[in-house]
Amino acid sequence: MDTYSPLKTPSLSQRNGSMTAVNLVLSVNGRDYRLTLDARVTLLDALREQLSLTGTKKGCDQGQCGACTVHVDGRRILSCLTLAASVEGKAITTIEGLADEGGLHPMQQAFMDHDAFQCGYCTPGQIMSAVACVTEGLAETDDDIREYMSGNLCRCAAYPNIVAAIKQARIDMQRGRS
Amino acid sequence: MNVSARAEGGMIGRPTPRIDGRLKVTGAARYPSDVILEDTAYAFLVMSTIARGRIKEFDLTEAQAVDGVLDILTYENTKGKVRKSRYFMRGGYAASSVVPLESPKIWHDGQIVAMVVAETYEAAREAAYKVRVESSAREAAPGFDERRPQPRQTPHIFAGSEPQVGDAETAFQDSDVQIDAYYTTPTQHHNAIELYTTTCVWSGDQLTVHEPSQYVHGLKNGLAKQLGIKPEKVRAVSPFIGGAFGAKAALTSRTALVAIAAKRLNRPVKLVATRQQGFTVSTYRAETQHHIKLGADRSGRLMSLSHEGWEVSSRSDDYKVAGTETTALLYACPNVFTRVNIVHADRSTPGFMRSPAEVPYVFALESAMDELAAALSMDPVELRRINDTRVSPIDQKPFSSRSLRTCYDRAAEAFGWSKRNPVPGSMQDGEWLVGWGCATACYPTNVAPAEARVTLAPNGTARVQTAGHDLGTGAYTAIALTAAEFLGVSLESINVELGDSTLPPAPVAGGSNATASICNAVAQACEDIRDRLARAAVQSGGALRGADATSIRLSRGALVSADGRSEELKESLSRLGFGPIEGFSKYVPEVASLPIRIMGHTLLSRGLPVMTIGTSAGDHVQYAFGAEFVEVRVHERTREIRVPRLVGAFAAGRIVSPTTARSQLLGALIWGVASALHEETEIDERVTRYVNKDLADYMIPVNADIRDVEVILVPEEDHKVNALGIKGLGELGNVGTNAAIANAVYHATGRRIRDLPIRIEDLL
Ligand code: FES
Ligand code: FES
Repeated sequence: MDTYSPLKTPSLSQRNGSMTAVNLVLSVNGRDYRLTLDARVTLLDALREQLSLTGTKKGCDQGQCGACTVHVDGRRILSCLTLAASVEGKAITTIEGLADEGGLHPMQQAFMDHDAFQCGYCTPGQIMSAVACVTEGLAETDDDIREYMSGNLCRCAAYPNIVAAIKQARIDMQRGRS
Repeated sequence: MNVSARAEGGMIGRPTPRIDGRLKVTGAARYPSDVILEDTAYAFLVMSTIARGRIKEFDLTEAQAVDGVLDILTYENTKGKVRKSRYFMRGGYAASSVVPLESPKIWHDGQIVAMVVAETYEAAREAAYKVRVESSAREAAPGFDERRPQPRQTPHIFAGSEPQVGDAETAFQDSDVQIDAYYTTPTQHHNAIELYTTTCVWSGDQLTVHEPSQYVHGLKNGLAKQLGIKPEKVRAVSPFIGGAFGAKAALTSRTALVAIAAKRLNRPVKLVATRQQGFTVSTYRAETQHHIKLGADRSGRLMSLSHEGWEVSSRSDDYKVAGTETTALLYACPNVFTRVNIVHADRSTPGFMRSPAEVPYVFALESAMDELAAALSMDPVELRRINDTRVSPIDQKPFSSRSLRTCYDRAAEAFGWSKRNPVPGSMQDGEWLVGWGCATACYPTNVAPAEARVTLAPNGTARVQTAGHDLGTGAYTAIALTAAEFLGVSLESINVELGDSTLPPAPVAGGSNATASICNAVAQACEDIRDRLARAAVQSGGALRGADATSIRLSRGALVSADGRSEELKESLSRLGFGPIEGFSKYVPEVASLPIRIMGHTLLSRGLPVMTIGTSAGDHVQYAFGAEFVEVRVHERTREIRVPRLVGAFAAGRIVSPTTARSQLLGALIWGVASALHEETEIDERVTRYVNKDLADYMIPVNADIRDVEVILVPEEDHKVNALGIKGLGELGNVGTNAAIANAVYHATGRRIRDLPIRIEDLL
């Protein structure tokens, strides 16, 4: 391989691009992170590339697969369709922050118990959605679970096991609350 | 070495949660896409928007002016940098023989024509959108010219893929009952949820590539070849893979470009190809056409089978799957004719996608079998029973084992098949037309050479190292179970390392060979340890002095002899020196041909494809079988199609990890639903371009599409396939399912749909 010849750098006046830097503080899993970001950075890329919180996955980057699901103020959102700058001051929870350090959330345990995944790439998104489904009261019947979990694609097609896992965790979560 | 003797412990075959599960549910599993390195620059691809022609000119002014842009690779500054690696079906590594950024020539829409590298992902993306490419387009061929097959265009290049026996045409003419029909299957894309990403980082002349891969040794060697460096200078790392299904096996054109960019910038470069770009960055399942002629006597016995297939390949390569190798030996039949044709189009080169040959070819045959059953007024299960065979009809070689009938019995019973009214349209439930259908599943039992290293420590913990892959298949768990069994220790004390080319070479995770190949290698490496410990123990002055070394087993942290004496592992180990003991194995499949016996491990260490396939396993043929039953409901007025129920019974030799095996088969059955009703990559034929290039428009099942799925694991012992008796099953469950659904749609509606996918409009 021969040596690298850099691009002819255009003079400063010719430089352009849509970059606008923003300073912000993101509150993720109970910790505050001070960041300077291109205003176009999505929450998904901020989590993954800036904060190394790579449990949140990128499966499409356009709101079609659910792999990037996180909670913002307790509600599930698609972090690929959310600009990082738009969630400043809100409480963001990712898969890494779902359970106490070293422990497992009942939903995580249930996914393991029912082998509710194969490759595991959709799994953090499935679990974040599933937790929200239960807390929102949208997981009362099997049909509800199937319907309200249909925004989370699983190409390995672990769907029946996902439904079984959510049923188990729903009971555990409801017990834990009462 | 005799590894078939089952060690104590009964770990193999024990249901257990997958051992990497905790990492996956906590987000701690680091997939290649999750590698974040300091000072990383980001790459973004620019793809051609014509399907055939030449690039006339680039205008990079606007792109270069974007703040943060570091480099733009085009053929003008990159040609000659990537050396040719041969196409993988021609003994090389590459997914296509088109060399990346080699020339202005455009072979297909969505070909990589430039790669922008910038300080941030956002800047790279913006600049990529601002790269102007002027090209001259020629008229392109999108695929088959018409819905009906064309004459043979290219002679086949692989021997043995067009089995024939007897005189099929005469026998067909003489048959009492005849079926003569055409079938088609569509283009499909793998669409694993993890995108095609690559991160390359150089440290001096040493390159590390993080890329989701089902063949790290292939990736390492192929990339080294393309870059003109020694293979030992490249390390490929992929401990987890976010789904692959065949798309992450051969070397795609993106990887070398990222490596070159990282070298030129002297910093890590990360590429995340978008979901849309993924449709042409890697491979796909090409569309196929089939002409099937079946002739039978009145009792239903097949007299003649002919199966001619047409497949689309690229202009540059002659990819084909040639599934007639399997359809020719599925049933007893004295006269068989098969032929496979390739039609070249201006598309990227297709590649393996889960059960590449069987999904399209068995769809055609199993649909035709159902048509034959209907023409005979015979139960379709009975037709399969009548035509079952113990030997290949082509050369009379016996199947090593074949539990097809048992699978049909078990699945039919669980499904309640006996309650079926055979008359189409007769089983209505309210507004829903109910249809029940079935089909045969089969997949060759392929086995490859594999290496494994096992290290056993005095405290009874062990480490298993092999460059295999866990695509979600459960490989980590199956391997750990095998080691736990043969070392006589608990599952928790086994640590498995996979997916790194610095580990002992293992074959591509393809052709469903991995569990059989790697578990046999691991068992041999454990046996190596047992053997050395036992021999030292019987010669020592310890408790096992004078015992028969071959009878000594490892069990619960001790060596135990057949006469009941035992010695602590710690003590046995100390005899062979301090610390752990290492076992190593170079497994050669028992059924391997002489060339593979001689050359197998050399080819393996070079990352080349080497495998004994089910039809070339010495004096027999080896296949796994299954039977699938489905219930389909078609709405009377809207013609909406639902699949509320699937039952599959499968026999695949010894099941190492039942929990993950079941999940594999469950997912595969759902893949079958997708193949029958959802998946199709659509092509705008005017411009030879895919139009539904994302997960919103490319249909795959969602949770609400699936209800009850039952998997039955039918016990089967087969001592011929390999020492441990394992048959791969990852690609078994999605074979034939598409036909079972089409057959059920016929039963529900009386409409025979021969072109997949079946959509509402087909039933109006
Ligand atoms: S990555 Fe956000 S929905 Fe797919
Ligand atoms: S587990 Fe692989 S995509 Fe869901």
